[in-house]
Amino acid sequence: MFNFYLLSSVLLISLIFFFLGNNRAKNLVKLNQKNLHSLTHYYGVYSLLVSLLPALGIFFIFTICDDLIFAELIKKYIPKEVVASKDYNFTIVLAQINNSVEGLIFGTPPKWVTNAAEIWISWIHKSQIITVIICISTALISGFLGYKKISGNFRSRNAVEKIVMSILAVSSVIAILTTIAIIFSVVFESIRFFALIPYDEFLFGTVWNPQFEGAERAGSGQEGLSQYGAIPLFAGTFLISIIALCVSVPVGLFSAIYLSEYATSKERVFFKPLLEILAGIPTVVYGFFAALTVAPFLRSSGSIFGLDVASESALAAGLVMGIMIIPFISSLSDDVINAVPQSLRDAGYGLGSTKNETVIKIVLPAALPGIVASIILAVSRAVGETMIVVMAAGLAANLTANPLEAVTTVTSQIVTILVGDQEFESAKTLSAFALALTLIVITLAMNFYALHVVKKYREQYE
Amino acid sequence: MNNINDLKSLELTVGDVFSKNARLKARNVNVFYGNNKAIDNVTIDIGSKEVISFIGPSGCGKSTFLRCFNRMNDTIDSCVVQGEITIDDENIYDKKIDVVPLRARIGMVFQKPNPFPKSIYDNVAYGPRIHGLSENKEHLDVIVEESLKRAGLWQEVSDRLQSPGTGLSGGQQQRLCIARAIAVSPEVILMDEPCSALDPIATAKIEDLIHELGNDYSIVIVTHSMQQAARVSKRTAYFHLGKLIEVGKTKEIFTRPQHHQTEAYISGKIG
Repeated sequence: MFNFYLLSSVLLISLIFFFLGNNRAKNLVKLNQKNLHSLTHYYGVYSLLVSLLPALGIFFIFTICDDLIFAELIKKYIPKEVVASKDYNFTIVLAQINNSVEGLIFGTPPKWVTNAAEIWISWIHKSQIITVIICISTALISGFLGYKKISGNFRSRNAVEKIVMSILAVSSVIAILTTIAIIFSVVFESIRFFALIPYDEFLFGTVWNPQFEGAERAGSGQEGLSQYGAIPLFAGTFLISIIALCVSVPVGLFSAIYLSEYATSKERVFFKPLLEILAGIPTVVYGFFAALTVAPFLRSSGSIFGLDVASESALAAGLVMGIMIIPFISSLSDDVINAVPQSLRDAGYGLGSTKNETVIKIVLPAALPGIVASIILAVSRAVGETMIVVMAAGLAANLTANPLEAVTTVTSQIVTILVGDQEFESAKTLSAFALALTLIVITLAMNFYALHVVKKYREQYE
Repeated sequence: MNNINDLKSLELTVGDVFSKNARLKARNVNVFYGNNKAIDNVTIDIGSKEVISFIGPSGCGKSTFLRCFNRMNDTIDSCVVQGEITIDDENIYDKKIDVVPLRARIGMVFQKPNPFPKSIYDNVAYGPRIHGLSENKEHLDVIVEESLKRAGLWQEVSDRLQSPGTGLSGGQQQRLCIARAIAVSPEVILMDEPCSALDPIATAKIEDLIHELGNDYSIVIVTHSMQQAARVSKRTAYFHLGKLIEVGKTKEIFTRPQHHQTEAYISGKIG
């Protein structure tokens, strides 16, 4: 609530500067009878941005930093004997203090915790006051400086342009930094995992059997009870992905061709949104569709042919995942097929091609880079999809190419490992990060390769 | 407008619409886009091995009319063609007519060069391949070479037949499109403002080519440039607001137009 009031008042101040700047510019026009460089509202917008942005920046830095600084400072208030004790863990102590700050008190916490919490609360109050003073004064000062700058020669239109450009640049940097941060968070935990389990055992091992056992704790020298060979998981992931692609690529591509080349505009308006509804169904719903409808159906129809289909099979998960991916392929491919210039189709018809010949020999080759891109997107979706496989593919890490058996995937293993209470020292928990890292590397590599293929093809034909 | 009788509408067109050795005959052709009448009762003959140009201000329907001859208007949903167009006395709008071989008989070159994103060779070989015109690879090579030679492009591209057709210059691309059209040995070639996207030198080359091709094919060329019409065609037809106003020998149209609208257009008052 405090933050909300602070932000509103900063916004209010900058709005006032907008009107001040605007008026000043208008007055300049009136008094001097001469033309300003820019339209008057640009002077207002300039004052607004100049007063708002620095204050906002300072606000965010303060809110992010104060918890970190407090955490560092609070160390002084933890009694020495607690720090010296054997199972001291700063993260846990910090959580205790934070809970007590928030009023979540379990049992009776030690005296020093309540003390620390009180100190922490007093710091929060202080920092709030400081934040208010600094933010408001920054808004006022920078707004005033911006306002002072307004004169006949000042090029506010260009200045606003620059500020807008930097806002856009900062947004894209935030997106990139987040990606990097995600990768790093996974990398550091993975390094800890690989300190426990050799990477060749992880990458090339064919048995996946992680267990929570005290014996395999870090440094106890008794690893080996569990096995962390990731190959069955990746094999399962790719088996299911391939089944999904076998469903989604033909169906998606063909429906895209139908929609863009054959359907009348009325049919298109009707069918395209219907197809895109598929993309809006939550994956959990697909999951129980796979587990409760498709899997039993496969099992019963398999028994007709004398096949033994597991009740949780790769086939069921793959088929349903394929259906889920259809809109990704159809929607994107439809767009790229539509983007193929009509003049190429005309040329085909003009030479006496049938519609089908025109589509296969002219339109599809021209749209191929885009179609490949849509398939890549579908592959990434398939490899990263979790919910369907958790519900329908089972958790048994079988190394098999038989789609009728239960398999498990990387993502569903990560889920089962990380659900529930965790011990972050155990190889089992850490293995989730190693799996995630490997998955990220593989999908990145696939994307790079596919982009390369697309680029090569483009150069050839444009 | 539909009720105008034939006689009256024929009176509207000045000059000689008929031709002694007519290859294509259009009789009382009307074209509608939805409720919009784009072509109003046009009757004209196109002779064998004749180069005829359609001129007229933008939006007068000359391109629309051109596209009636190979039924390209079929690809536009809202477009309806009435009347009769015959090639060698066969009605091309007859329900029994298969549009695919028809379009092989009547080739088309478009306003903007539109080579396929394939190699030069594959561009030219496309038509012969889909129509099964070649017996074997060597024969196909011969067809491709022959077509490129006739389009005056062979010398420039003979050493890079496998490079993409889209990499050629605009004028070369248009000649490639002409070669592609010739490769299926059509009887008639329709050209829809083939030089409007080209520079003067490339235009001159295409015009020379049209001249030469006129010895073997019937060519209908739609053009914005009156000079071009004067240079390449023996006969000229002037369209205005969907009506065929005047047809005649090119020389006479440009020197002694009989209809006042033709005269106004030629002297630059309309257009």
